Amino acid sequence: MRAVQLAVDEINARGGVRVGAVRRPLQVVSIDTREHEPGIPIHDALAALEKLLTERRPHAIVVGAFRSEVLLAAMDVVARYRVPYVVTIAMTPAFEARIASDPVKYRYLFRMGLQSEYFAGNLARVLGYIKSRHGVSRIQFVHQDVLWAKATVGFLEVWARQAGWTVVSSDAYPTGATDFSASVLRARTGRTQILVPVFDMPQSGVLLKQVKGAQLPVAVVGFISPAVPATAWQAFEGAVDGMVQFVAEPGPLAVRVLPKSVHFNRAYGQKYGEEARLRLSGHGPGPSYDAVYVVAAAIERAGTLDPDRVAEEIRKTDTEGVIGRIRFNEKHQVVYGGLPSETAISLAFQWRAPGRRVVVFPELAAEDEIRLPAGVGR
Amino acid sequence: MTEVLSVLLYGLVQAAILLLVALGFSVTFGLSGIPNFAHGGVYILSGFVCWYLLRQLAWPHLLAAAGGVAVAAVVGVLLYWLVIRPVRRLVLAEVIATFAAGVAMLELFRWMGLVTYDFNLPPVVAGSVTLGEVTVDAHRLAVVAAAAGLGLLLWWFGRATRTGLALRAMAQEEYTALSLGVREDVVATVSVALGSALAAVAAVLVLPLGLISINLGYDAMLVALAVTVVGGTERTAGLVLAALLLGMTTVAASVVLGPHWSEVIYLAAIVAVLAVRPSGILGRLKELEERV
Repeated sequence: MRAVQLAVDEINARGGVRVGAVRRPLQVVSIDTREHEPGIPIHDALAALEKLLTERRPHAIVVGAFRSEVLLAAMDVVARYRVPYVVTIAMTPAFEARIASDPVKYRYLFRMGLQSEYFAGNLARVLGYIKSRHGVSRIQFVHQDVLWAKATVGFLEVWARQAGWTVVSSDAYPTGATDFSASVLRARTGRTQILVPVFDMPQSGVLLKQVKGAQLPVAVVGFISPAVPATAWQAFEGAVDGMVQFVAEPGPLAVRVLPKSVHFNRAYGQKYGEEARLRLSGHGPGPSYDAVYVVAAAIERAGTLDPDRVAEEIRKTDTEGVIGRIRFNEKHQVVYGGLPSETAISLAFQWRAPGRRVVVFPELAAEDEIRLPAGVGR
Repeated sequence: MTEVLSVLLYGLVQAAILLLVALGFSVTFGLSGIPNFAHGGVYILSGFVCWYLLRQLAWPHLLAAAGGVAVAAVVGVLLYWLVIRPVRRLVLAEVIATFAAGVAMLELFRWMGLVTYDFNLPPVVAGSVTLGEVTVDAHRLAVVAAAAGLGLLLWWFGRATRTGLALRAMAQEEYTALSLGVREDVVATVSVALGSALAAVAAVLVLPLGLISINLGYDAMLVALAVTVVGGTERTAGLVLAALLLGMTTVAASVVLGPHWSEVIYLAAIVAVLAVRPSGILGRLKELEERV
């Protein structure tokens, strides 16, 4: 929300959004659906969305659903209320399938955040590189039992077997779990070399502490949301050391090949303080900030607040943002790839002592090669 | 061999965790018949108090832990006088009132936004220990030692101190105890305060293994209920045996079948024991009641 407010304040400082002949300021209205918390039913989140739509009547929605299960259910609500909707967090590929099934009905919905198949593809590329470079072959997946993480690991399991990995196990944990000792035991008995966590819950950082405590000879390569911020080294007392951490989209890191990511970090630090900037999470801030600009530009091009015309202009977006080049495919998903001049990109960095985040993926933005812990691989 | 040793060692650690988390609930219920379903709320509250004293006020670790235990004991006293006493002896009302108090505490913390990874406690003992071919963090072994020590201490307390004897007398035969001068409110207050303090001891020992997560309050309640039902409330040995059984089974099941199975096992154990042996595996109260 802070990233959204930053973009809104920047636009308003330049006079607001031009709607036809009139310049109008942007105003943020919001509601917390609490869907990131364990045990919140989907219908509660939908009720919150409907309350926002009926009581505050926004001209567009950005950020949107956090949980994929909620996003899929919310699509029909958004279609009914005819509001341009740019989701920046929920990652399920089913979103695109749903849009393809009825492009007219779902014409208001777009996604700026990373989709889990892109994420899985990037992870597979890095894992493939590690395998060929370091001669490792035993892999274990540990993931949150939610739609996007299951889709990611489902894809990776198939890929890993085809690529010659031995899959030790694939362990699912409910949202809110804090004890991962079953996976630690499986890693030890299965002689795991690469541990791939896929989690977006705050509690998942505990996995790293438990792996460190058991002194497992493994390299951790994956996504643990609380291990993204610069403050994670201190919060987890160095247990993140050596982890190759994926960042769903640029935002929490200033990357030299993405000038807007440098601006975003500077502006965010100035507005909210350096401590707040260091705590930026790895999924959401970049595309949420960009989404405001995309919607504002679409309104200006449309010259009206009519939702159909604004949605049509969002679909035609071609601009540079924090996340790279922003263009939507025919299923309303921003295209992600490896070249920021052509597509949006996602990043991976490796934690190194004494708490540095060294970008290692994609090649164009990499500052160093991936190093595995002593005793893992060649 | 390594696999078996790993499961046994982690099973023992899990049993110690279960015993620590259940002791407070079981002691309160066993000594005064009060089902304190606010146990999970007190457990998380004391974790946050310890965190605040340690991280925000920079108290020494031991002092911060003692602060958490002291606050929990005071909360226990308040719980008895404000929540439990008005509905004393109305068993269903006691369950509902304490459960509501526990949920209110936990959801208040959630509303206050205490849900990030910042809320963690450092281990009491740093480093790792290798036993055979299995390495385990030293803090887990400290948890095992603490659980064993606390179990012995409570066994001694119930048999060798006047307060302990008074509490047991009240639990076993209320009217006789009253006629011998045991004061009901004092005994009940002590039992709830003691149970709450034990919940805090569990919190400062167990929460450093993970995070101070609000959902762990609900988990603590489930665990306490499962261990108490399976072990029975009359003897500490029953609780120890129940904790060992559940700890070993959940670890073995989560390794062999998957992590989701642990909660299934707790719930299945409650149902099975209530159906087959309602007094718990070492308990005899229900049998005696039925015979009378």
